[in-house]
Amino acid sequence: MCKAGRPDMKPAYPQAGSYPQFADLVDTERSQVDRKVFHDEAIYQAELRQIFGRAWLFLAHESQIPGAGDFVRTKMGEDDVIVVRQRDGKIGAFLNSCPHRGNRVCMVDAGKKARGFICNYHGWSFGIDGRLVGTDGKVYDTDPDFEKHAITLTPVAQVASYKGLVFGTFDPNAPSLADWFGPFTWYLDVMLDNDPEGTEFIGGCIRSEIECNWKFPAENFVGDILHAYWTHQSGAQAILGGGVDLGPQYDERAFQASIYGHGIETNLDKTGNTKTLGYPELVDYVFSQYDKAKDRLGETRARMVGAISSCTVFPNFSFLPGQATFRVWQPKGPNKIELYTWTLVNKSMPEHIKELYRRGTMMTFSPGGVFEMDDGENWEYCTKANEGWVTRHQPLHYALGISSKIDAPDLPGHIHRGSLNDANQRYFYTRWAEFMRFDNWSDLMTAETAPPAKAAPGVAAE
Amino acid sequence: MSLTRLCALADLGPDKITRVEVEGRSPVALALADGGAVAFDDTCPHADESLSQGWVEDGRIVCAVHFAEFEIGSGKAHNAPIGCGRLRFYPTEIRDGAVHADLAD
Repeated sequence: MCKAGRPDMKPAYPQAGSYPQFADLVDTERSQVDRKVFHDEAIYQAELRQIFGRAWLFLAHESQIPGAGDFVRTKMGEDDVIVVRQRDGKIGAFLNSCPHRGNRVCMVDAGKKARGFICNYHGWSFGIDGRLVGTDGKVYDTDPDFEKHAITLTPVAQVASYKGLVFGTFDPNAPSLADWFGPFTWYLDVMLDNDPEGTEFIGGCIRSEIECNWKFPAENFVGDILHAYWTHQSGAQAILGGGVDLGPQYDERAFQASIYGHGIETNLDKTGNTKTLGYPELVDYVFSQYDKAKDRLGETRARMVGAISSCTVFPNFSFLPGQATFRVWQPKGPNKIELYTWTLVNKSMPEHIKELYRRGTMMTFSPGGVFEMDDGENWEYCTKANEGWVTRHQPLHYALGISSKIDAPDLPGHIHRGSLNDANQRYFYTRWAEFMRFDNWSDLMTAETAPPAKAAPGVAAE
Repeated sequence: MSLTRLCALADLGPDKITRVEVEGRSPVALALADGGAVAFDDTCPHADESLSQGWVEDGRIVCAVHFAEFEIGSGKAHNAPIGCGRLRFYPTEIRDGAVHADLAD
């Protein structure tokens, strides 16, 4: 430091490495996952580098920031970011950290019409485009060696939207958001494109902490509907007024689909998820919209709109079709998450229907919600118990449905018959292992989890 | 009234503020508003920052550094840091496609 040369203030995007020893903890031959992946600090640090440093991560819904200067704060991995609508209508995202001493420049969760962000420490002022526009008292500005134009909040390397949902990645070399999803958009459209006017988030963001590893909720939503019949039996009985059964609708007209580790499990019962919000009027509403959705999406996907179903977009963005809850499992160390949740509705829904969705998601999937509490306790004990010294050496079983893969030419991705299946969870961990093993996108996009080539008519036609 | 030629009208753009150096005095800023050109001190009355970094919004000039807003015409400050004075505006006239202003004290 005492040589005192000029600083290089270019944003830096860390390179990925390769961790074959961690990748090998997912044993695809035996359908087993090593318990160490749920508590080991070194593995967690590798996840921040390999996964959260590269993957497209959910940032916001465009409806949250309609006007110039409107912003939300969120996390990408453990990095604090500001997502802000620019004056030209595009969306920018920046690290919430001043390039001077690192202090946060934005301390509120969300706001409208921000003019910029001023660091509380030395008054460095940044525009909503991230550029440094001023320094307090102009002491820096009058230093002839100060290169103000070279200083900016670090931009998230790429930001892009898919039908209202905004994602970002810290990797300038990551493939486009469209390539990242691949044909998985065919399934996302069940929620995002069943109506021509599109979707919006309503109400605010509910946040809570759960002392679990982030992968437990992600794997649960990617393809574990089986847990509902035990975990949620009492809650479901209270809301639905009767028991739930493992009927043929979870076998004969149900499947799991996986593409690049993203996964959705669903049956085709039209309103099973919506029923659990507890408002018969909502169920009637979903039925009333069925023909319209069918014209737009075809029969299979129209039946999924309100059905018993759950989805995770790798790595940590999940939602429940029909229940309308969208969430991110933000990692906070190997054994803690901060859960961000929102309610998504179609813009064209009548106000009282939107309000019922909002109330329904609060009563079921919020910190005090019936089903959230059921799940959280299980995930916390999964995380804690796996850490035991002897316990951590024991195998875990992810082998339900290992012979259930089907061809299903009409459905994109790797398809397994029946929604009661561990298939998507196996693909999720296979994807996790691919991220641990590969340091480049060429390998990542052609690995085992990549979608099989098939001319799915649904994709070609839409 | 003595008019000073500042720049060609064509040099001004919607939604941007153009700074013009004027010999013997502090720089002047120009913007398109109210169907014509408006002229005002480029130096923000709050902390000496250049208003040319800012923009025009809803009839106000917005300073990009500490976010004070000034009503076009009266120069009255809104949402401004403590101690921020009024922004001075100057009468303008378009002659031969150029913006002129009366910069007299």
